[in-house]
Amino acid sequence: MAFDAVLKMTPAGVAIITLSGELDASVADNFRSEIQKATNQGARRLVLMVKDLSYMASAGLRVLIFAKQKMGSNVDLYVVEPQEAIREVITMTGFTQSVIILDEYNAAEIESV
Amino acid sequence: MDALTLPGTLDSLTAIREFVGEMGENAGLDRKALYRLKLAVDEIATNIVTHGYEAAGLQGEIVISSRLAPEALTIQLEDTSQEYNPLGLEKPDTLDKPIGERPIGGLGVFLAVRGVDEFRYEHVNGRNLHTFTVKIPSSQSQSS
Repeated sequence: MAFDAVLKMTPAGVAIITLSGELDASVADNFRSEIQKATNQGARRLVLMVKDLSYMASAGLRVLIFAKQKMGSNVDLYVVEPQEAIREVITMTGFTQSVIILDEYNAAEIESV
Repeated sequence: MDALTLPGTLDSLTAIREFVGEMGENAGLDRKALYRLKLAVDEIATNIVTHGYEAAGLQGEIVISSRLAPEALTIQLEDTSQEYNPLGLEKPDTLDKPIGERPIGGLGVFLAVRGVDEFRYEHVNGRNLHTFTVKIPSSQSQSS
């Protein structure tokens, strides 16, 4: 399935990016440019909706590193509803200490900055 | 033996994963093992394209082939890019660092090596050979 990344900003400055399809090195720049857009708009928090993301290579992880470096290490980065294999990669690479994984979207927690 | 020749560009990654997917399903790999194998091959193919070909100003092909034996499935990537041994880069010592403080790189090779039962690199007659082997479930008492 083709990769897609769609950014939505809440009035409070929460950047919600919905990812779907297969995220490999050939499309990672599309993801990176959505992150760039979010930071240009002054995002104070980053939320990745990944339920329909079926594959993620390390190129995707590198974009997360980029996001963290761009937004500052105190900005929370949420990953919502990752599929099992993607969750495994996030865990195996030690990213669990830098991102918050949620099993479901929790508006009260996510949208109050 | 099945084989496929593709241009050494990032646009070939989808076809590479589809090839691995088909071979892995034929071999009876479970979902988890198949995902790891796809990821492993994709990561190394990405390195071949970006480091071996593009960064070196070279162009060429990637040949992906598959061999199925009763006890194991072997996938091989063959290319004529710059000699590039990924081993030695496979254990980033920064996995315990917050991601904002990490250097970028090394993760792909780490995932590749961890994703299969055996990973081998050889440079033979000007060609890079990357070989990935996974055991087939029926030959193991317990698949992990």
